[in-house]
Amino acid sequence: MDGFPILSLLTFLPVLGMIIILFLPKEQSNTIKYTTLVITSLQVVFAVILLGNYNYGAGGIFEQSSFQFIEKFRWIEITGISWIGTVKVDYFMGVDGISVPMVLLTAIISFIATLSSWNIKSQLKGYFALFLLLDTGMMGVFVSLDFFLFYIFWELMLLPMYFLIGIWGGPRKEYAAIKFFIYTLFGSIFILLVMIGLYFSATETIASGERVFTFNMLALMDQTNYSPDGILSPFNPENMRLVAYIALFVGFAIKIPMFPFHTWLPDAHVEAPTPISVILAGVLLKMGTYGILRISYPMFPDITRDLMWYIALFGMVNIIYGALVALAQKDFKKLIAYSSISHMGYVLLGMASLSTTGIAGAVFQMFNHGTITAMLFLIVGVIYDRTHTRGINDFGGLANQMPVYTGFVTVAFFAAIGLPSLSGFVSEALVFVGAFGQESIRVLTMISTLGILLGAAYMLWTLQRIFFGTLPEKWNKLLDIDKREYAMFIPLTIIIIFLGIYPSAMLDIMNTSVNTLVDYVAVSFQNMQLSGF
Amino acid sequence: MITVGLEHFLVISSILFSLGLYGVVTRKNAVMVLMGIELILNAANINFVAFSKYGNFGYDGQAIALFVIVLAAAEAAIALAIVLNIYKTFANVNVDEIDKLKD
Amino acid sequence: MDASLLTENLSYILPEIVISAALIIIVLFDLIFHNDKRIIPYLAVAGLAVAGFFIIDQFSFEGSAFATSSSANNFGMITVDNFGSFFKLFVVCVSILIVFFSFSSEEIQKTFDRLGEYYALIFGMILGMIILVSASDLILIYLALELLSLSSYVLAGFTKLRDRNSEASLKYLIFGGVSSGLMLFGISIIYGMTGTTNLYLINPLLQAPNLNLITVSFAMILIFTGIGYKISSAPFHFWTPDVYEGAPIVITAFLSVASKAAGFALLIRLIKTTFVTFTSPDGYWQLINAFDWQALLIIISIFTMTLGNFTALWQNNLKRMLAYSSIAHAGYLLLGLVVMSDQGLTAILIYFVFYALMNLGAFYIIMLIANKTGSEEIDDYTGLGSAAPFLGVSLAIFLVSLTGLPPTAGFIGKLYIFIALVDAKMIAVAIIALLNTVVSLYYYVRVLKHMYLQKSDSPKDAILPSTGQILFILILLVPTLLFGVYFTPIVTFAKNSISLLGF
Repeated sequence: MDGFPILSLLTFLPVLGMIIILFLPKEQSNTIKYTTLVITSLQVVFAVILLGNYNYGAGGIFEQSSFQFIEKFRWIEITGISWIGTVKVDYFMGVDGISVPMVLLTAIISFIATLSSWNIKSQLKGYFALFLLLDTGMMGVFVSLDFFLFYIFWELMLLPMYFLIGIWGGPRKEYAAIKFFIYTLFGSIFILLVMIGLYFSATETIASGERVFTFNMLALMDQTNYSPDGILSPFNPENMRLVAYIALFVGFAIKIPMFPFHTWLPDAHVEAPTPISVILAGVLLKMGTYGILRISYPMFPDITRDLMWYIALFGMVNIIYGALVALAQKDFKKLIAYSSISHMGYVLLGMASLSTTGIAGAVFQMFNHGTITAMLFLIVGVIYDRTHTRGINDFGGLANQMPVYTGFVTVAFFAAIGLPSLSGFVSEALVFVGAFGQESIRVLTMISTLGILLGAAYMLWTLQRIFFGTLPEKWNKLLDIDKREYAMFIPLTIIIIFLGIYPSAMLDIMNTSVNTLVDYVAVSFQNMQLSGF
Repeated sequence: MITVGLEHFLVISSILFSLGLYGVVTRKNAVMVLMGIELILNAANINFVAFSKYGNFGYDGQAIALFVIVLAAAEAAIALAIVLNIYKTFANVNVDEIDKLKD
Repeated sequence: MDASLLTENLSYILPEIVISAALIIIVLFDLIFHNDKRIIPYLAVAGLAVAGFFIIDQFSFEGSAFATSSSANNFGMITVDNFGSFFKLFVVCVSILIVFFSFSSEEIQKTFDRLGEYYALIFGMILGMIILVSASDLILIYLALELLSLSSYVLAGFTKLRDRNSEASLKYLIFGGVSSGLMLFGISIIYGMTGTTNLYLINPLLQAPNLNLITVSFAMILIFTGIGYKISSAPFHFWTPDVYEGAPIVITAFLSVASKAAGFALLIRLIKTTFVTFTSPDGYWQLINAFDWQALLIIISIFTMTLGNFTALWQNNLKRMLAYSSIAHAGYLLLGLVVMSDQGLTAILIYFVFYALMNLGAFYIIMLIANKTGSEEIDDYTGLGSAAPFLGVSLAIFLVSLTGLPPTAGFIGKLYIFIALVDAKMIAVAIIALLNTVVSLYYYVRVLKHMYLQKSDSPKDAILPSTGQILFILILLVPTLLFGVYFTPIVTFAKNSISLLGF
């Protein structure tokens, strides 16, 4: 695979598709749809090729040599005419065990979402063009290793998402779209600020031997690169690292979304069309936690340690709060949205443990939540397409009317609850084992286990209300799922069951990297303590 | 016998300046506002000439005053043309009543 | 003054001479050949191109013309340096775009019989601006400012097609007259204290120990009034929304870009040559204690951007909204000056290039749409996304760029401002500015919401721009996107352009 730019291909393939679509006439709706489908399935193929050539033994995280499929060249170079010296930004991509699962997830979810977009009726051209642009933004975030590049991709998603919710959404789409936009932009300005602060705090040696400021994430992780007077340098006694960490965390937390920054999510989910909900829950939310693992943890190991209890606390609040609110929902889609908040809490809890088990559980949970919640939203979409209602109490007894559908729903629901032999179980178990092992957050972990109970409660209760009991008269003509819907459900079901039975398939990918990350955080923390900070 | 010194000129110019500013702020009639502006310009002119004479700065100040007088005339010409145009459109020149553009 | 010295001095002001000559030629041509008015715009472009050529030539040298005495440290009335040349080139380039802009303007075409006057006045503005950005004598600055202002008063009400044109003219005149009067009074005080009006000569005199600082501050605030009015910073911004809404769109675009840039160039030159003793190796300027520019500018800039952004939120007229947005942008630009460093200065120059692209682009599309629909109300933009796909997408990109989201040039402009702020450790100011960006998103996106998210009740006629118009939009649109991902050339150019004569 040497020299083959597979990551750029994965990232920019959708842009190519977008350009093709923009040149297609509006009327050829089938061509537009199939173009998107071809592009996203090619993306899946490339992601699988990537996985096939991936070396499970390389750790990544902080050293360039153990990243894989690296593409690095100078993108911006402004040689020093005056005070500031050379300004450079690299086009720097690479993957390790934390990003590969996310790349796979993005490719799969995009493909499934394309299938689910088949029902979109109006303005197809615009829809699929924006959809593909969104795809590029998501993929780019997961493969960038330069903070500047990362930020560009991060922001690139906002506008397509705004339009996708705002144009093709439900009745309150305008409100939901602008709320999403303002919230996430509000978050990303903090990321931007920290990015600039880090830029001025660390330097990197370039080919000419000169030391220049850098956006290179790996260079920013190395404490020895920091200059004594940088505002975010650990060697500066008056540094602002704590403030910066919190700012960065808030920026990412809005995307997760973490309580109390979560209020945009239910609105966005309820109003967004099904495929966009799938993308939102399946991929977008993962960017927040991915950002924390990729940027906050290795760059601020000292503060991560200091604040781990608070991260766990917020994880716990997310789990319990999300589950309690989900219990009270009457709208099927809103229920899934809140369950999604609850499940992202497990990711936070696992990350807060700072142990290999916990973080591996968190990354695995990111992947599993992506597939399970995507499936749950598809389930809502299927029933909504047929009945144009999402009120849980409007249904009942669908099990007899739509047996196959009910089968898929049961798998997804049980996976979300965390039933053994389904993928959700493994990741949640790992999270709890990891978090329980960390003495300082043990109490929080114990409280969090209540979330499982609550999760079972609202899921089973929903299952009972919708699928059992008596079928209302008006629904006795409902059809069971069709071929296209089979095509959406089957891959996800296979993934959920396969990873439930054989979790090592995914855990092995991330294992080395998670170990490296945990070691790296611990070691840099110790180093910093030794040197007196 | 009082000798007329720099202070006297400065006092005069300050008074003129204040009157001009006062006129600009309080008057509603566009022509009166323009007259206020003229007063401010002339206050500056008195300053220039007085400083040039009492500060031994050569003739720069007086030359500047000449420039300003010419400019003030040009500005007045354009201003009156615009005010005339306003009068044709709105049938008055009251600044407060010309408010078709507002939030 | 002997002949060789005169020739040398004149060689420094070749661009100004060319513009003046072009102005005279346009007036004469208009008088002699009234039937061939359509040639006038081409004359204008030719004149600007020649001037542009001489300006590019000036990048290679520094100097000053029309010194009053021949002593070594005596600088003249006009300086030639890269900083001035940058802004001259900026003004000339924007002016060329404005000439093409005018081709498509229905407002200007309706007053076709006065085309000669129109271009004569435009050239009056250009001449005022390019003198303003290179003048180093307070009186020449005042004269240039008045030349610029007088021409723009007339242009603001030039078309007389609607009541609002005349009203814009009057409001511009009154605010302009007062602020330039105050400025002149301030200049007279400075003259009284130092005995000179030359910026370079004032500098050492302001370092005298027994200076009356209150008087200096008073004079400087008065002078800042005149400049603040030109760059439309709060609290001197009151004319901006009315004039921008009332004036023909071409003139609004011209004022919002070129006139603002000239005002900024003047402010920077004033501060740097008069109040800075030296530039330290890390790029920070050492200010004279006589007047605390930094404190004043921090307050003004924060006030300006906050007021501009928040007032823009409830505007229903797109031109008026962009007027408030341009006030907000003046606030962001002032931030580059607040840090008082070469880095901030670079950021301002970069920002101006990008600001010109996106602002002209936005105004141009608004004009094309207004030509067809006769309205600039945001409500009338409902459903335009499908009626005018190309214009809609372009306007969307320009507005996104004005918000400052990647991957557009506007993001890079803002990024450099924030980099300068963080480098100067002004984190709180940076946070306020960033929060302002979030606020601004709301009103820019509101336009997109109307264009794309809402369905219009009545089907809209399709608006199809001509090939020339598409080309013009692309000239602005392509760089807006391209510089968003590859900005090296502009940054390098800006870095090369921050040197002022003597610093």
